[in-house]
Amino acid sequence: MRLPGAGLAKGLAVTMRTMTKRSVTDQYPDVKPELPPRSRGVIALLEENCTVCMLCARECPDWCIYIDSHKETIPAPEGGRERQRNVLDRFAIDFSLCMYCGICIEACPFDALFWSPEFEYAEFDIRNMTHEKERLGQWMSTVPPPPAVDGRAERPKELDAARKAMEKAAAPAAPPAAPVEAAE
Amino acid sequence: MVTERIVGMGAGADLVDDGGRIATQDMVLNIGPQHPSTHGVLRLRITLDGERIVDAEPIVGYMHRGAEKLFEVRDYRQIIVLANRHDWLSAFANELGVVLAAERMLGMDVPVRAVWARTLLAELNRVLNHLMFLGSYPIELGAITPIFYAFRERETLQAVMEEISGGRMHYMFNRVGGLKEDLPAGWLGRARRAVTDVRSRLPDLDRLVMGNEIFLARTKGVGIISPEMVAAYGVSGPIARASGVDFDLRRDEPYLAYGELPVTVVTRTDGDCLSRFQCLFEQLQVSLDLADACLDRLGSLPPGPINTRLPKVLKVPEGATYAWTENPLGINGYYLVSKGDKTPWRLKLRSASFNNIQVLGELLPGALIADMVAILGSMFFVVGDIDK
Repeated sequence: MRLPGAGLAKGLAVTMRTMTKRSVTDQYPDVKPELPPRSRGVIALLEENCTVCMLCARECPDWCIYIDSHKETIPAPEGGRERQRNVLDRFAIDFSLCMYCGICIEACPFDALFWSPEFEYAEFDIRNMTHEKERLGQWMSTVPPPPAVDGRAERPKELDAARKAMEKAAAPAAPPAAPVEAAE
Repeated sequence: MVTERIVGMGAGADLVDDGGRIATQDMVLNIGPQHPSTHGVLRLRITLDGERIVDAEPIVGYMHRGAEKLFEVRDYRQIIVLANRHDWLSAFANELGVVLAAERMLGMDVPVRAVWARTLLAELNRVLNHLMFLGSYPIELGAITPIFYAFRERETLQAVMEEISGGRMHYMFNRVGGLKEDLPAGWLGRARRAVTDVRSRLPDLDRLVMGNEIFLARTKGVGIISPEMVAAYGVSGPIARASGVDFDLRRDEPYLAYGELPVTVVTRTDGDCLSRFQCLFEQLQVSLDLADACLDRLGSLPPGPINTRLPKVLKVPEGATYAWTENPLGINGYYLVSKGDKTPWRLKLRSASFNNIQVLGELLPGALIADMVAILGSMFFVVGDIDK
């Protein structure tokens, strides 16, 4: 026969024991959280890399990226012909609509968009949630380098491609038997 | 016109009807769509005879977002964004169904490391989901403390989930053909430590609620679902298993790597609120064991890719398939019909909570209004999953 209230007492014992331990509460505004590099906080724009291809704006599931641009003609150099290039006038992300899926960053073929773990950009006015390209550019300084991946991961294709290119470039200069000594 | 209704003892107790009983009328009581005892915007129209419920009708749709229609105008990567949002507590499992359906139609082989990583993340997601309900259900019955313990464990696991996927709720980590990125270096060790920590602290949660006399009094023998009701309403998940329905897709129709894992199916026979809660708690332990088994396996797999190179425009061949998965809350199915476009022609979503909640219409009549809270909470639903 169990004592009446034994279960209650058992629960209270847990509470008592927990009281003697350090609390796990984050002291947030005083102590900033340590966020992992992959954390999806805000999207940063590296304007120089953007070619106004519009892939991000088209792939965005809720169309919260606004891009304006115009074409500029580069005058013909000696013996050449004139070329046209796109100039970015406006690049804005409306973070009040953004679903933080990261498809724009994945879709960008020129590495112009990056995730940053920064998250403190709440606003009193929803219109201020639209970050123009200047503000998006400022986030670039907060973008962390990507974390190293697990040892069992596949080698990035870029590494193999780069090595192949190096070997190809080195091949006519030196006989293929002695590249190791050359490196030393 | 104002009609005075006498709904119980009190002012009208001196009025007597023809049979000599106190003359009372039934009262229609709306619980929700905004009511503190409901989670979110589920509305229940309850007819009361005094304290006793004579009729109950769950009215759903206040949070309908048209997910199925939105799927039809989005490509498969964009669908993952939407699909992980209908049941925000099992985002990873929701993503999984979509990519499994697309991969089956494409006849795509998923790299073995991706299969095991997906299984691991699905189990961690299940633990997160169950911890939420293990914390919130006692709150509804007046016990505030357990949620702090549950959230401490959730935070431990969310840290590893955030490290790998970048998200705390909407992981957006599945892609057709694998996962978005490879595991960060050292992540397996940190994930293992998180699983061990959570497991070591589970007895706290157990001692806090499981033996509590008040909790037992509120839940034992309350809201009994029979196996027949389970079958009639298509109830699934821990709720169905608490009624003795021994059905779990992880064992009965294995997907991912579950075929190679010893999946213990947790069942109870009573079918009351308490057994539903106990089922959830025991499933938590099973999921932690499965996560450990996945971690062991991931640590011994040969090096290899974690995703498949996809064409720029991914088109799923013409045809149809039904992919169902054992989500934390029950069976979650996607019926994918493709006409060979880059968007599905139709993507029907069968969500667990929608079916689970329908049984309330039969379950609540006969119960007391105070038990309604206990029963509603023990149905473990997410309103987004009901309304889609």
